[in-house]
Amino acid sequence: MVLDIFLGILQIVLFPGIVFCIGLTFLLEWIDRKYYADLQNRMGPLYVGWRGILQPFADFIKLMAKEDITPKAADRRLFTATPFFSVAVPLLALLFIPITNVTGVLSFQGDLIFVLFLTTVIAILIILAGYSSMNRYSSIGAARAGLQLMGYEIPLTLAALTPAMIARSLTITEIVKYQAVAGMSILIFPSMIAFGVFIITLLPELEKIPMDIPEAETELVAGWQTEFSGKKYAFLRLSNNLELLLGAGLAVTLFLGGPYGIEKLPGLTALDLAIQANIVLSTVWYTAWFLIKTAIVVLIITNLRALFSRYRIDQMVRGAWKYLTPLMIGITAITMLLSAAVPGLYPIV
Amino acid sequence: MSRLVDWARRSSPWLLHFNSGSCNGCDIEILAALMPRFDLERFGALLKGSPRHADVLVCTGPVTRQQAPRLRRIYEQMPEPKFVMVVGTCGSTGGVFRGCYNAAEGIDTVIPVDVYVPGCPARPEAIALGAVKLLEKLKNAQKQARGEK
Repeated sequence: MVLDIFLGILQIVLFPGIVFCIGLTFLLEWIDRKYYADLQNRMGPLYVGWRGILQPFADFIKLMAKEDITPKAADRRLFTATPFFSVAVPLLALLFIPITNVTGVLSFQGDLIFVLFLTTVIAILIILAGYSSMNRYSSIGAARAGLQLMGYEIPLTLAALTPAMIARSLTITEIVKYQAVAGMSILIFPSMIAFGVFIITLLPELEKIPMDIPEAETELVAGWQTEFSGKKYAFLRLSNNLELLLGAGLAVTLFLGGPYGIEKLPGLTALDLAIQANIVLSTVWYTAWFLIKTAIVVLIITNLRALFSRYRIDQMVRGAWKYLTPLMIGITAITMLLSAAVPGLYPIV
Repeated sequence: MSRLVDWARRSSPWLLHFNSGSCNGCDIEILAALMPRFDLERFGALLKGSPRHADVLVCTGPVTRQQAPRLRRIYEQMPEPKFVMVVGTCGSTGGVFRGCYNAAEGIDTVIPVDVYVPGCPARPEAIALGAVKLLEKLKNAQKQARGEK
């Protein structure tokens, strides 16, 4: 009993919980920056650790050690609280993502809805952070963040629910297990389009470049982050990285087969059994595959970041309501029709 | 712990670019230093939009009378520890504007300066060298603060 509690705390705090996730976000930020620099013919971070691998860590430590300014006009309590909550919320959501195992650290019936709800809470925290700093740039940034939320929220949720409808379950574990039998849901018919929409709607969620309208550097200084400095800014950056990991992790879990690797291919059953028999081997194997798949999703996002320039807020909202939302409603209808009309198409597991 | 913080400060100098009445020559060269050929990001430098996020204030221009209070305010908005790097002859000494009725004689008449990069305009190599010099100066200051030689 005591050992169980101890192991549970270890799982939440150390591996695959808080410490592991934060380390992973630093790694992903390094991959992102390095690849982004490479696409622009630059070197990227080079001298801090092996090829600059410690750069995000150095940035974080430096920001933590810097002076922490709270403007006189700001709402002191909210201004201090939002950065901490915006780290805590994605960390909580990350505990539901299966990384080392088929199940996440936490798991219950219908947890996909809860994780999607937490992603919305992050956006609301961003709005609060912008308004609490009482800066004109921050207020405009926060208003834009809210407008963006109106635009991308519905397509994002519908895109995440498409594989859930195919697997006939709202539990993340069940969706992953379904994909082990029926193949990655990116290979199943309407779900591949949903994957594209999911990646596009992740961009405004993460405020990556084509959709970084709330922090638009050329117009709004740094958008809703303008007044945050020192520790608070370090936490906001960490929060953004955790969101990147969460978004990529969700994409991997829902569309790319979660932590399963090549062992689920036909003809490799012996390998599958060998991995499942050994708990250490299975942990390492699943974590490695999760890492590879997450890195692939991050590279896709980085590619989009380097390819496009920023949209205006009206273009983004209009695009989301005019094209993405009807498209996703159509795909939802098609998925439901297909699963009702063609019984063998989505096998029941 | 303090060693770790010192290392982190040396490793990620984030820049804020401010033009205090320059002719834009030096500003273009600063951008050139951030571009593929020289790429200051290899030292961990990122160009930031907000003074609250930056460590190094990169200034150009002789500080016109109108810009002086703004320069001072931007400097005060930056969180400690902060450094100032001046790019160009105008920023260092006043240059051709020396003795003008509407311009101060260089950035250091308004705010304290750590590194000067002369040149009209300063070449991007020189700006990169200036950045390295600033990091070296910081390293020496950290060593002195710890009582090492």
